[in-house]
Amino acid sequence: MNEFIEQFLLESRELVEQATDDLLVLEKAPADRERLDNAFRAFHTLKGGAGIVDFAAMEMAVHAAEDVLAAARSGSRPVTTRLIGDCLACLDQVVRWLDSMQGSGELPTDADMEARTLVERFLPSPAGAKSPGPLKRGSMPGNWASALLTKHSSVRAQAKTAIRYAPDPDCFFRSEDPVARIAALPGLLCLDLEPAVPWPTLDALDPFACNLVLTALSQGSVTEIVSTLGEAIDQCDVQALAHVRGTESVPLLQRTRAVLEAQISLLGEKEVQGIRGRVASAGLVAANVLRHLGRTAGADHIARATDRSLAESAPSVLRETIETTLNEVFPPVPAAASPQILHDRGARTLRVDATRIDALVNLTSELTVAKNAIGHTAKLAQDGSNALASVLKDRHAVLDRLVGELQRSVLGMRVLPLRHVFQRFPRLVRDISADLGKPANLIIEGDDTEADKVIVEMLFEPLLHVLRNAMDHGVEHASVRAAQGKPPAGTIRLRAARQGDHVVVEVSDDGRGVDVARVRQVALERNVAPDEILDAMSDTEAIDLIFAPGFSTATKVTDVSGRGVGLDAVRTAVGRLAGHVGVESRTGEGTKVRLTLPFSVMMTRVMTVEAGGQMFGIPLDAIVETVRVGMDSIVPVGGAKAIVFRNRTMPLVELAGALGVKREENKDTEATVVVARIEGHFGALQVDRLGEQMEVMLKPLDGILSGMPGIAGSTLLGDGGVLLVLDLGELLQ
Amino acid sequence: MTVRLSADGTIELDGICTIEDAETLLRHLLAAPRATVDWRSCAQAHAAVIQVLMASKSILRGPPAGDFLRMHLEPLMKSA
Repeated sequence: MNEFIEQFLLESRELVEQATDDLLVLEKAPADRERLDNAFRAFHTLKGGAGIVDFAAMEMAVHAAEDVLAAARSGSRPVTTRLIGDCLACLDQVVRWLDSMQGSGELPTDADMEARTLVERFLPSPAGAKSPGPLKRGSMPGNWASALLTKHSSVRAQAKTAIRYAPDPDCFFRSEDPVARIAALPGLLCLDLEPAVPWPTLDALDPFACNLVLTALSQGSVTEIVSTLGEAIDQCDVQALAHVRGTESVPLLQRTRAVLEAQISLLGEKEVQGIRGRVASAGLVAANVLRHLGRTAGADHIARATDRSLAESAPSVLRETIETTLNEVFPPVPAAASPQILHDRGARTLRVDATRIDALVNLTSELTVAKNAIGHTAKLAQDGSNALASVLKDRHAVLDRLVGELQRSVLGMRVLPLRHVFQRFPRLVRDISADLGKPANLIIEGDDTEADKVIVEMLFEPLLHVLRNAMDHGVEHASVRAAQGKPPAGTIRLRAARQGDHVVVEVSDDGRGVDVARVRQVALERNVAPDEILDAMSDTEAIDLIFAPGFSTATKVTDVSGRGVGLDAVRTAVGRLAGHVGVESRTGEGTKVRLTLPFSVMMTRVMTVEAGGQMFGIPLDAIVETVRVGMDSIVPVGGAKAIVFRNRTMPLVELAGALGVKREENKDTEATVVVARIEGHFGALQVDRLGEQMEVMLKPLDGILSGMPGIAGSTLLGDGGVLLVLDLGELLQ
Repeated sequence: MTVRLSADGTIELDGICTIEDAETLLRHLLAAPRATVDWRSCAQAHAAVIQVLMASKSILRGPPAGDFLRMHLEPLMKSA
């Protein structure tokens, strides 16, 4: 993918997120001037980005939204829910375009129509769908129009409208003469003819199939042109040139200059409020145009100045930097610039905090020292020194510490704040709330809590499901709430916190809570559990059944949460990340769903055990304790075995047997048992021997081993052997 | 006839050339691909005719009589 497109995608997504955020706040507080300004600026920067990658349709759509926001800023248009909705719809479309570009690496080809539909949304009066209004308003010349302007630069000054007419091949049979139609246009300045598909050899030419594409410039206004084109308008693209005339075809450098000057004047305005947003947006635009020209160094320079400007709250820093850049005549871009651009892109895609890199650099130098020390030790070994063992031990300790730090630093780079997933929810809750007709507020707390990239990225689906459930089944309708003395709008809290090695994400609502009696009844009806077990369950255990496969209490399937997937999908997804889900409920007061996830998916503390002559790892966080019990305390229950331990009866699984490896003959009177707790259930695992504890990087099994039951993954041992790490959940089920 | 083959092998376009003339022109050009096309007395030409002229990359002897042809189309063609 073209690196500008890549950059553009990255930044546009951030801008869309930021603008969405601002718009949602603005909807609740239409007088919030700063949010309005921020949203406006985000749209403005989005438009600039689209211009840089020559994405005319997006430029046009975003420009229309920017216009209405500008009108809102000037007070000539009120901030209404409709206006916010239109702007959000525009952002949605932008995201669809971005997604399509991400897939193909190319600008979407059919974006014009979508853009036009959007532009129409923003028009004050939607009357007259065929009116040239939208054409006149937002259109920017696409590539063909700018090419035409460049080619016919002598008439550029007079040109008001660009026309591209691609008649269909059959048009001659409808007595259409495309050339005559263009000839009839008022104020025609120039005409270009191109074959629609390359000309065939003369003997293969069908003289009655039109293969012409006509492009023309005219002094006539769009309205005049459109009315003259008549029915041919369907096959025409008509663009107004007035407000961009002269900018499209001036040399690139001059355009860059104009953009940079615009940023300077933006920063020069005496406006204290929202100046930070201005600095950020101006810096971004300036850096982007420079990067577009291949002036990476200049762009980086601007980027640094932006940061400094922001840090010191002094827009003048950035302004002066842009000015210097402007007045400087750059030396030609050296050929060596490309690797730097590549490097730059890599860094940007990862978005690693610079301090983390610094820490790595320090570690590298320490590691070098440690390496040299080992060279020294090798020399000692050669000389047959007696102190070798203790020296080696010391070196090992140093290396151990350094490698540990290195591991932590590298893992730290994969860490993202949960904001990345949380920030998508306000918008979604707004939509769900509108769908269900239940007003609700989403309160987000702790979104700066960090977790491994994989965790953060995979959290979206399960969380969305839980939120939908809370909105659909938890929060009552406003009238019901009012009758109960609750505020009419429901409150949903999305809260994240770090707890030791885990990240806890809670979704709580102030709705009706889980109806335990109903859960029991449904569980019975749907055979989720046999009735004697159901009867024996405590309320807490019964409520947990909502996560059981095949359970769904909604009496009617709704669009929102009843898609045939129950909350069991949430438990499965979270379980895949080695996390677990729990629920608490108070009737009439609300429900709280808690997702507990490991901070990092990569590091797992395991304890090794031996069974059937093989070593296996057991995730340490599942282990309650290890004990030796007398063989006689193992009691057969049906075809299975169980032990009673600390007044609790639990199933006992013989590991060797369960994994199908041959058991060691054992005449001991005692058995070594690992007691584990999975999802609140206890189970015991009989092993031959206990090993040591270690921290490992767990790799999921792939290839033909991936379907192997009871195995969570593998890791390499110090001696080069492979350690299989068990999935106790599957083994003890 | 608005499309004529002259004695010296030049193809002449005369007056208002309609869509039917495109086929005649094409036939002449297929018979003599290198023939010069003289459009000095051509006042108007249908898009189909223009299309044949462009596809054949014929050498044109001009300027054509019609203003529109002279101003906007002749610059796009190969002139003798």
